[in-house]
Amino acid sequence: MSFIEFKNICKKYEKADKNSVTDFTLSIEEKEFIAFVGPSGCGKSTTLRMVAGFEEITSGELWIGGRQMNQVAPRDRGIAMVFQNYALYPHMTVEKNIGYGLKNMKVPAEEIKKKVDWAIDILGLEEYRYRKPKNLSGGQRQRVALGRAIVKNQKVFLMDEPLSNLDAKLRVSMRNEISKLHRELGSTTIYVTHDQVEAMTMADRIVIMKDGVIQQVGKPMELYEHPVNKFVAGFIGSPQMNFYDVFIEENKMKFKDGSQIMLPDVVAEKLKGRQGELIMGIRGEDIKLDGQNLDLYASEKQQAVIENTEVMGNENNLYFTFGGSQTVARVSKYEISQIGDTIDFVLSPLKMHFFDKNTEESILEKQNN
Amino acid sequence: MLTKRQKTFNYILAAVLLVLSLFFLFPVIWMLANSFKGDAAITADMNTVSAFIPPALNGSFFENYVSILTNTSFLRYMANTLFYAAVLIVLGIVVNGLAGYALAKIKFPFRERWVLVILLLQIVPMETIITIHFLMIAKMGLLNTIVGYILPMIVNPFNIFLFRQVFLSLPDDVYEAAQLDFCSPIKYFFTMVLPMSKTVVATVSVFTFLGVWNDYLWPSLVFTSSDLLTAQIGLNSITANENTTMGQTLAVITLVTIPVIIIYSLFSKQIVEGVTSTGSKEG
Repeated sequence: MSFIEFKNICKKYEKADKNSVTDFTLSIEEKEFIAFVGPSGCGKSTTLRMVAGFEEITSGELWIGGRQMNQVAPRDRGIAMVFQNYALYPHMTVEKNIGYGLKNMKVPAEEIKKKVDWAIDILGLEEYRYRKPKNLSGGQRQRVALGRAIVKNQKVFLMDEPLSNLDAKLRVSMRNEISKLHRELGSTTIYVTHDQVEAMTMADRIVIMKDGVIQQVGKPMELYEHPVNKFVAGFIGSPQMNFYDVFIEENKMKFKDGSQIMLPDVVAEKLKGRQGELIMGIRGEDIKLDGQNLDLYASEKQQAVIENTEVMGNENNLYFTFGGSQTVARVSKYEISQIGDTIDFVLSPLKMHFFDKNTEESILEKQNN
Repeated sequence: MLTKRQKTFNYILAAVLLVLSLFFLFPVIWMLANSFKGDAAITADMNTVSAFIPPALNGSFFENYVSILTNTSFLRYMANTLFYAAVLIVLGIVVNGLAGYALAKIKFPFRERWVLVILLLQIVPMETIITIHFLMIAKMGLLNTIVGYILPMIVNPFNIFLFRQVFLSLPDDVYEAAQLDFCSPIKYFFTMVLPMSKTVVATVSVFTFLGVWNDYLWPSLVFTSSDLLTAQIGLNSITANENTTMGQTLAVITLVTIPVIIIYSLFSKQIVEGVTSTGSKEG
């Protein structure tokens, strides 16, 4: 049995007509960093709160460390949590906030001091030690909240959108700090976020949820390269994957605007004989403008007029209409074009994803967790 | 910058307010000035401006106060009342605070109805149920005891409502964090909720103090033994005594007024907040 086991967990609120979380089954190994990610209302926070014990589990089983936790009080689950709004004790100083749990655990005073000193030290809070939360910035407050979680030596860390109240720059640096802390402490961590970048950069594995149902579980690059459905494909990655309604006939792929591409045999084989209407998805970086690729797929060369550009410095996004859809291509800084330019490009056929038009399930990938 | 016209207006306004406040203050000033005089002087000054001017500071200046404090048990009555107020403040905060907390944060059936019922109790004036209180306390054999006096005074629907309104706005995640920090619900109430709600605690304390200090009816029914009497009843019995002079009467009234004036001037902010927060201030 894994360290944390979710077995068919469902959550249904009173008076709600459908489940907030449905049939959530997942195994988390010890020391893993797992991110729950999805749009708001997808049930990720509810699931986390069920792990913490703040929400009752309607049906299914939750096991932590070999012990069933459904009926166990939050304090006895061996967890520490970092909240979105920090949830610091407003009338206590930084030091008291961090040491409060230890004090209640009846830890001897000198040991509390030692642990609080250690937390204050690694979180860089020394000069704020005697300040109260209202006199701290958002980043400092979140560090205090982290300190409060790490001093208790709990096996499981739960983090509920801990960075969403911070500004962009601080978010990046806190992201690093949390990753570093996780490596040092080795606590099993469940991290809830709506930001796929946070999930991609920090997590060992990502759980993507939508409408209370797990869509896919996997390592960041697995999700990126092998999404099992259109939702995952669209959610992971920035800029978003381009999608086209296409019609496949033999090896020929027809777009809505009449453009046509011949698929190489390898790709056609992977479609397992699927013909007719499909959804084709391709990431911006797999739309190629460089000479080498244009030569390679010379027969499938397409043309479009650039409508907008986003200059990032290292890379640039080019926006144009192709195949009846708004398309974004991500190109290197050497391939910058101006708005109004006509460009030649090819779609890298081996990087195409195909989804069923009705179920939106991937035709190439199978969910395996 | 204020224009000249605004300045003139402000001066006029200040003058009007000054006259108005003197109008309200003059009985108090009269009381204070005459509490230092003998009866002969009070009568003599009655129709002159010196009715508002204290006598010259001499050996007999504090005579009325000295005689009240030495010849009557008034100091004792004041001490009694302060003691009752202190006990009722502590018990009132615990009992009404816990009730308000439950009504704000704990989910149970018909919670909102309960709030309504408690609010409805506000409509019932104390005087209409005081006989029932009296009969119950009498049946319990608690007449003329401190417990008998305090027991029916602890619960106060207004304070419950006041606490609830403030506790509604406390964030739930702090409670959740405290749970994970091994803090029990009762401990949470005393070490987190009350310190986070200092303003309402102060407001309720002030209201409770003023209520106890100014109450006449209930202590007059419960207490018969003179050892337990409160300041207001003491005041009444002293002033009703034929041998008490006019000056002494005014001295007693002044003594009774002093704590109220101190409390009002120290806590006027809390009192105003307490009154306004009962209106529309919602979570």
